[in-house]
Amino acid sequence: MASITLQDVSVEFPIYNAQSRSLRRGLMRKVGGGLDTHDPAVLRVQALRNVNLALRPGDRLALVGHNGAGKSTLLRVLSGAYEPSSGDARIEGKVASLLDITLGMDDELTGRENIALRGAFAGLTRREVAERMDEIADFCELGEFLDLPMRTYSSGMSLRVAFGVSTALSPDILLLDELIAVGDAGFAAKARARIERLMDQASILVLASHSVEILETYCNRAVRMEGGRIVAEGGVREVVG
Amino acid sequence: MFDALSISPRDVRLARQDLAGGVTAWPIWTHLGLLDIRQRYRRSRLGQFWITLSMALFVGGIGVVNASLFRAAAADYIPYLAASYIVWTLMSGLANDAAQVYVQAAPFLRQAAIPRTVFVLRVLARNAVAFAHNVVILPVVFALFGVWPGATALLALPGLALLAAAAFCAVHAVGVLATRFRDLPQIMQNAVQMAFFLTPVMWRPEQLGSNVASALSFNPFAVYLSLVVEPLLGRAPPASSWAAGVAMLLPLAGVAWLLFARFRARIPYWL
Repeated sequence: MASITLQDVSVEFPIYNAQSRSLRRGLMRKVGGGLDTHDPAVLRVQALRNVNLALRPGDRLALVGHNGAGKSTLLRVLSGAYEPSSGDARIEGKVASLLDITLGMDDELTGRENIALRGAFAGLTRREVAERMDEIADFCELGEFLDLPMRTYSSGMSLRVAFGVSTALSPDILLLDELIAVGDAGFAAKARARIERLMDQASILVLASHSVEILETYCNRAVRMEGGRIVAEGGVREVVG
Repeated sequence: MFDALSISPRDVRLARQDLAGGVTAWPIWTHLGLLDIRQRYRRSRLGQFWITLSMALFVGGIGVVNASLFRAAAADYIPYLAASYIVWTLMSGLANDAAQVYVQAAPFLRQAAIPRTVFVLRVLARNAVAFAHNVVILPVVFALFGVWPGATALLALPGLALLAAAAFCAVHAVGVLATRFRDLPQIMQNAVQMAFFLTPVMWRPEQLGSNVASALSFNPFAVYLSLVVEPLLGRAPPASSWAAGVAMLLPLAGVAWLLFARFRARIPYWL
């Protein structure tokens, strides 16, 4: 069963400037006198501070906050990419994080090859990729272009492929940074229907957005973030409105 | 430099999971490794056979020049050069790619929980593919110069296995360090270049005095090189060479494990 439990999670980035990142400085400092874990020369950015969050099946969480409030970092912790620098994050279930749908796509590869590559990363076997290939190809409506290198595509066409393959999975936990909009009017409606189906099927949804309307449509819980902390929690209307 | 090297049981568990998860995700890293090669030669007519052709040209050119320069018999020198240079190319490719392993994978590592080991194995796969393209030259060279290694050549397989195990550990260790310290890729490049001159690739160990030659057993490149090249030329490596190969692997594996277990989680933060 899918679940997410964050306990007192903090994420702290060391920002190494060119100097402190060099091996020479590292060695010199060690020789100079013991290990200094809180060297003032290393700037630290607190991207998340003591975040507690529990999500269970059926939860549709809206994530709101200004730019730099920590939404994306939180999504990355939820995806498992960032393991918290302190605290504990337990994520059970298959996660699909559509934070960057063009992830790992290569212009020199054909549309089909890119789909196969993305499928492999999502943990699909070759056979599963082959099974879904036709469905994705149908959805993209690119016809023969799918067998040409992606560098020949317009940006809208690349996005169709990226979106098609990203939404062909069946995750337990779905992470979205803004509701992705692709393509012209006709295609956008089709894309919207596809992502709605994906959201319906996912056991847990986390959606970061600035649009009150979208959040009210798809979510049943909300948290507001500020300066890396959760500052408000509750129903969508009271937190977002 | 680092927080103290304290490794919690949780770190150990996650590092084990990463290793196991990485190995079992072989469809991903074989796919990526093959793509890396195909991509490099995309849109060229000969494609990846440029690897083979470049190697053939190099061995042919340098072989003829050096054979006359060192006054070695070409029939003796060129087969040695071909074998040693092909194995050297494998090792130096691994060493140089090691420094880029996680930096290159940054977009993936920042978005999803993918085992780090996947990218280490991708580097191994990529270099194995290039090696396979190069190694086809050997039968041709051997046929031209009438070298027949016989069944002894099969001993190159355990040699390659040891080399791969050492590379697996080294790429893990160098990858962590080079992601944190961005001078390391440059340092590596220079170190590899230096190692080229200190390793019997263009020259043969017999050309050194016996005192100096024994120093070669401290050069990991020379040790693993001899474990593959000697069998290919039909000479079984002495037990001391095998012992040196195993003896170097153990501390390397230890260091790699410590670095990986301790800093595995930090890698995405450093990207």
